[in-house]
Parts: sequence; structure tokens; C-alpha cells
Amino acid sequence: MTSVNDQILAEAARWHIASGDDAMDWDAFTIWLEADPRHSAAYDEVALADGVLQEHRATLQDSAPDTAGKVVPLTAVNDALSRDTAPGPAGGGAEIVRPAFGKRTRWAGMAIAATLAAVLAVPQFMAPAAQVYETTAVSRKIALEDGSTIVLAPRSNLTVEGRHQDHMALSGGALFDIRHDPDRQLTITAGGLDISDIGTRFDVQAQDKLVRVGVVEGKVEVRSGSLAAPVQLVAGKGLSFDGRAGTASVAAVRSEDVGAWQKGRLSYDNAPLALVVTDLRRYAGAEVAVPDALSDRRFSGTLVIGDGDTALRDLAQVMGLRLGGRAGAWRLEQPAR
Amino acid sequence: MESGEYGDANGLVRLLDVHRPELMRFLTARCGSADDAEDVLQEMWIKVSGQATGPITNGRAYLFRMANNLVLDRARGRRRSMQRERVWLEVEGGGVAHMPEDRADPGEPADEILAREQEAEVLRDAIASLPEGAQRALRLYRFEDIGQKEIAEIMGISRSGVEKHLALAMKRLRQALADCGAFGAVASEEHGEQGGGKPRMEQGR
Repeated sequence: MTSVNDQILAEAARWHIASGDDAMDWDAFTIWLEADPRHSAAYDEVALADGVLQEHRATLQDSAPDTAGKVVPLTAVNDALSRDTAPGPAGGGAEIVRPAFGKRTRWAGMAIAATLAAVLAVPQFMAPAAQVYETTAVSRKIALEDGSTIVLAPRSNLTVEGRHQDHMALSGGALFDIRHDPDRQLTITAGGLDISDIGTRFDVQAQDKLVRVGVVEGKVEVRSGSLAAPVQLVAGKGLSFDGRAGTASVAAVRSEDVGAWQKGRLSYDNAPLALVVTDLRRYAGAEVAVPDALSDRRFSGTLVIGDGDTALRDLAQVMGLRLGGRAGAWRLEQPAR
Repeated sequence: MESGEYGDANGLVRLLDVHRPELMRFLTARCGSADDAEDVLQEMWIKVSGQATGPITNGRAYLFRMANNLVLDRARGRRRSMQRERVWLEVEGGGVAHMPEDRADPGEPADEILAREQEAEVLRDAIASLPEGAQRALRLYRFEDIGQKEIAEIMGISRSGVEKHLALAMKRLRQALADCGAFGAVASEEHGEQGGGKPRMEQGR
């Protein structure tokens, strides 16, 4: 046994142990596998040995001296390395349609790039913990390691994951300014939509299953299980998605309106009142209730956020509605005629 | 995909689609061949489209783990059939290699049972000769089903200490099994000095 092989086996064993943990860094593991074809074989042997051990568990356990002392097994809680592949057989009689998986040429380039990268990659066994950013009344600027920036809107929540900070989940609003990096594709999950991008400037507003995406520069791709096909959005286009109805529409947006919440303005073109109110809650801190009968009324125009209640009064006035209730618990009402 | 539902299975299928390039890349590196990688990916697709799951906190990790386990299942199957053939050859051929197809039906594989007893024996010895810390961590992990975090607490050491113990244990177990030919000739080629001679199970102890 040479020392190189010994080294590979030691690394393989560490990866195998790490894979039993939720924090396993699968991207780094991929790079390690790509770095040398012997790595995968070594990993197989280690994992198989562990499998053989578990097959003989009953036999070996009986004869085991009790080195563990008086430990109560925490069986239900802690089977960290779940050996289940996928629970259950495929389909209860459901028709199975095979999708056409992507062309090979596509990853061939990636694999080469990754092999080059692997030379520099230091095995990193735990993915960095997800970073969670949460804002209250004020927005916050987030700088990513590659120089990209994100301005997270007030009362919003952004989770950043992945070794390359390339997996994000957003609830609320954010303006993304992402640097182009051919090796990385950023994916943002927001209210049932997956938004992918490679270097661009765009704004996302997501509340429950209502999502709006506006693109200022570059191009993004938007996918969802309820959309028949991915939608490409270029600069100057915006998408409104309603995950409950499963509908999406694309319309032109003015680039000065995209992310204008940063400058204290909210602009709408034929937006449902429910959505405008959601924004006022987020950006102006104005709590206002809208009766169901009014929630689909449409609003076009620009609101200046100001102190919140002002924007609300403007909205009510433009829409011909009455502002009832009191500060902190406003209510938009249809005035009696 | 065209349906407007957000069922769990549906969500996983969508997630599989989103992460397909990364999974493909991982599987290609893991299987060593693009064809095998595509096969596994198809298998995953079939599994997730027919599957109703409970809530999954980290879907991406779930899919990678599923991919990894499917590859391992295949390797396990290969190893078992290889081992079976070898045992038959040794028992029936009396040292002369026959193709498995040539020999008579072996009936109930008593020889396999024997091989498995030897396997257990090899593991028992390997565990017994582990350093104390590694041995204890391994027993807790694999025989008591205790997670790595809790083992760290029980043993009063750090998480990475537990990882090191367990990795050492795994490496030694693999070594013990490899030394008695558990991974077959193909695997031993990978390990320089060990290659050459036909690996055999150790006889009686």
C-alpha cells in the first residue's frame, strides 16, 4: 500500500463520514471525485465496507463489549447516515414518463473546468452554514464574496447557501446586482419560482406565492413547476407570477422603476390592490387591511413611501376608496354611495 | 410539469430538473462514465416522480444523497455477484477456473454463508484492533445508531474528533476487507502492491 493510496483512502473515509451529515458539501465532494479517477473507487470501497459492517451488525453487536457504557440508544432521533435511497417504490400505478435528459456536450465543458479548479480546491468537508439575513424597518446591503451586491428590502428575509453563495431563498424584496461568473449560476427561490441568472441586475418581490421579477440589465431565467416552460426575461422586462392561480405574465418595465423602492418610490402598472398593500406594509410599515371584494382592484401609478400613512392616503384617494380604522390598523373601504 | 399543483413529489421533480446539471456532473465523476450517470439520473427521476415524501428541509442535499446511495447500491450489487462467482470457482473448480456458466447449479449457497461468516470474522477482528477512541465512536455510530453530534457529547470530544475517529475506523474496516479480497481483482488493481495474486478469502481462524 503506497502512501498516495493511503492518503486517498483517508480522504475517502472522511468524505464518507461527512456524507452522513446534513452539512455535507456535495459540490466540494464532486470536485474531489473529479480530481482523480481513483477517488471514486476508493470511496466505493470505504462505503461498501461500511455497508458490509451494517449487514453484519446483528452478529457483531452481540459479541461487542460494552465500551459505550450505559448509553441509551437514540435510535429514532439519530440515524444520521440514512441508507435509504429513495423511500418507497416508484409510482402507485402512475404512468411514468421519462424526460429527455440534457445533452452530454453540456457538462463536458463543465467537467474540464472543474478538473482545473480541483487543483486549487482544498477539501472542505462541511459546507459553510447558510447565512440568513433578516431586515426589520430598514433595508440592508449585502456584499457577496465575488463582489456582487444585494440590497435587501425592509421586512424581508434572504438565505444564502452553497460554497459559492449561489443558492438563495427570498421572502420579501431584494435588488440583485450580480457579477458575471461563467462558472457559477445563481439560483434564487422565491414563492414557488426559481430565478436563475449569470451576471445581471434585477429586482425580486415575493410575498407568499405572488412574485414579481424586473430586469434592469442582462437576462434571467425563471422556472416553476406550474409554468410549462422556463421564461427568459431580458432587460426592460418584468414578470408577475401568481403561484396559486398558476399564471404568469410578462410586460415591459421601465428600468428606473425597477428597484425604485430604494429611492422611496413604488411604481405600478395595473397591479392588484392586494399586492400594492403588501408592498406598503413592507416598505412603508403601513398596516392596512383590504376586504376581499377590493383585493383585485387594479392600481397604476407611483406612490412615494414617505412616512407610510401618506402613501396610503394617496393610494386611497387615487383609487376612490375610503381609509377607515386608525393608525396601525387602517382599512381600505368602498365608500358608501 | 405542466400541472399547477405543488405536491411534494411534484416539487422534487422540479428540484431535480433545477439541479440536473450539478447532479449529472456529480454522477459522472462518481460513476466514471456519462452513460452510467444518465442511467442513475433516469432512475432518480422515476423514483421522485412516483414518490410522495414528507417535508424535506434541504431538497438539494436530499437529491445528492439519493444519487450517491443509488450509485452505492449498484456497486454493492456488483461486489456481491463478483464475490459469488469467486466463491463458486474456488469451491467447485478445485483451483481450476471454470466459467460460472459451466458449472452445475450450486443449489443452496452454503459456500456463500461460509463466506459471510468469514466476512463477519474479519470485521470483528478489525474492530477489536481499532484504537480505543475510534472503536468506541464506531460502536456508538453503527451499533447504537447515535449521531455524530451526540457521540461528541457522550465522548466529550469535538465534532471533528468524532469524524476523525469514524474515518479511521472506516479506513481500517475497508483495509481488512480488501486484504481478504472482498473487493475483487478489479479493486485491488487500484492498490499497487496488493495487485497480482488472486485475492482469496482467508481460510479458517
